[in-house]
Amino acid sequence: MRNRVMMIALAVLLCTTAMLGANGTEEGAEKAEKLVFWHTYSDGETALFEQTVLPAFEALGTGIEVEAVRMPYEGLKQQVIAGIAGDAGPDVMRMDLVWVPEFAKLGGLVPVSQREGFDSLKADFFEGSLATNYYNGEFYGIPLNTNTKVAVWNKALLAELGITELPTTMDDVLKLAQGLEGDDRWPLAIGGAGSWGMLPWFWTMGGQVTDEAFTRSTGYLDSEASIQALQTIADLYAQGQVGPCLLGEEPGTWGGMENGNYLMMDDGPWYYSIVGDSALENTVFSTLPAGPGGSVSVVGGENMVMMSTCENQDAAWEFMNFMVSPSTQITMAEVGMIPTRISAATDPEAAKAPYFTTYVEQLKTAKPRTPHPHWGKISDTLGLAFESVIRGELTAQEALPSAAQTIDGFLAK
Amino acid sequence: MTRLRTGLRQWKTALPFILPGLILVILFSVYPIFQNARMSITNFNVLTQKSQGFVGFTNYVRAASDPVVVTATVNTIVYALVCIPIEMLLGLFIAALLHSGVRGNLVYRALCYLPVITSWVIVSLIFRYLFSSGQGGLVNYLLGGLGLISAPVAWLSHRWTAFVAIWSLEIWKSIGWVMVIYLAGLQGVPKALYEAARIDGSGWFNRLRFITVPLLRPVTVYILVNRVIGAFSAFISIYMITDGGPMNRTEVLLSYMYKAGFQYFEFSYASTLSMIMAVLILMFSGTHRLLIKEEK
Repeated sequence: MRNRVMMIALAVLLCTTAMLGANGTEEGAEKAEKLVFWHTYSDGETALFEQTVLPAFEALGTGIEVEAVRMPYEGLKQQVIAGIAGDAGPDVMRMDLVWVPEFAKLGGLVPVSQREGFDSLKADFFEGSLATNYYNGEFYGIPLNTNTKVAVWNKALLAELGITELPTTMDDVLKLAQGLEGDDRWPLAIGGAGSWGMLPWFWTMGGQVTDEAFTRSTGYLDSEASIQALQTIADLYAQGQVGPCLLGEEPGTWGGMENGNYLMMDDGPWYYSIVGDSALENTVFSTLPAGPGGSVSVVGGENMVMMSTCENQDAAWEFMNFMVSPSTQITMAEVGMIPTRISAATDPEAAKAPYFTTYVEQLKTAKPRTPHPHWGKISDTLGLAFESVIRGELTAQEALPSAAQTIDGFLAK
Repeated sequence: MTRLRTGLRQWKTALPFILPGLILVILFSVYPIFQNARMSITNFNVLTQKSQGFVGFTNYVRAASDPVVVTATVNTIVYALVCIPIEMLLGLFIAALLHSGVRGNLVYRALCYLPVITSWVIVSLIFRYLFSSGQGGLVNYLLGGLGLISAPVAWLSHRWTAFVAIWSLEIWKSIGWVMVIYLAGLQGVPKALYEAARIDGSGWFNRLRFITVPLLRPVTVYILVNRVIGAFSAFISIYMITDGGPMNRTEVLLSYMYKAGFQYFEFSYASTLSMIMAVLILMFSGTHRLLIKEEK
């Protein structure tokens, strides 16, 4: 008897829960569609994004609720993998552009080439920025903001050396900086021997990594010009013209600029938005001084991508479109986010930050890193070759040919 | 037949006690090990959670010819060879001192154990700063002040100097644990033995040599097995202090495995590396088991 009562009670309980559950979903459908958005904006960027951009999106009355989550860049890739694999990741993400082909290959992203309005959007993006979304015949995202690195000069050291007009060629820099070496002071600060730190200088000195179509490295990375470029940088380091930050030692680039250890470094617009007013007071900026290869910096930036775990794909696409709209891009340009839309970048409204035009100017000659799913390995191969030459363990003639062959192997995969 | 029945009955009695543990072990150890072995011989995509075809032992062949794996294996073994003896000697020394009845015993014990409970991440960051290059690094400043070095050392830019920082952290952080275990062991040594030895006229060293060390042998083996496993699972300190650099020269097996999995997304290769590690650890702890058996 008791058992039967228990059974009936259980059945009633189950039915009620099921009905409640059904009600819950119905209510949920009427409610706003929810999107989780991951980004890595800095303090200043986050403030502007949360106080101006997000409210503007809500004001549109689309019924889409965006939960913006600020993530640390450190370890982010691992978090994204864990998030997608465990279905606990974002729906939409502001992703470092070099990761896009890699995540696309893994099946972590939704292609957007067939989405409504994509074709008309396409024409207004800078070609180089858009290309970073391309993988295997499809675009897997849309460019949100771009950036590059320019030359940042220490005002105090310029005054001490009596330099009134910023040098425009590397030869002039080294000539004018004579006598600066020693006593914990160096003319140049290169941020590291890895690809992000070295490529602008390697390209500026005339080096090449691959052909224009990113299909081959042999014949380019191991060319006479490339060998010469790398050897020149290594020799400058050995002569004390490039500071120890090149091998990750102290003083680092930012600390060294502040304490007057370095005459010039290269860095992105975040240097100004993170360090704040003191950076603008103590430094001046220009495009990179030209070497045999011209004045060539590296293109960085972020793309808006839709994750494969996203359930509200239409809502996600709507939000992505809003984020790359000229008005949003112009708003974010205030904190140094350079627009990827031609119409926004050329709008005088966007050029509010004092350094904006210098960065846009540098972007005209800046080159992208090889857009390839195996970029991580290509980058490590380059870094190893660069560092072994800078440390004087190999000559550029010895290091680059084998690196080129290794990279050919990754490009073919 | 009756033996079988007795056996079954015994199992029936014991099962409820071991079942919860058994389920957890199967779920969190046995299953992942098999899954891992399977991943190492297939092409596994972590995002789709699917294997894209059988690849046989290609990953193992690749690991055997990967120069970074060789460096990482050597680094892992040297890490164990350098750190474990120092930790055990110093741990035993401090334990013996505390056991001899120093005043403020409890305070010293707590102080020595403190590093064990600190966060690996935080102390790794602190050690990275202590060993930073240039005049500003505290270690450089102190050694320079003492006249031990003429120019500041770029500790983290070279393989073995970087390991000095990593080893110091490991030793600093583990002595306390070794000390506590030895202290417990020392308390189990009957005082009567020392008294008898004293009456027979044996000195301090002979008492250590013929009473303390032999009686502590099981404790020593236990500490050794634990520290070997600990040394093989060293990861956070390396990841935080050098991240395998410069030029992969401070990579250990675990840090390289993490890189293969989470930076290059090659989970099959990462699984292969972890299988290799498992075999190495089994070999070491297997030897220890043999040692203990001999003892019995």
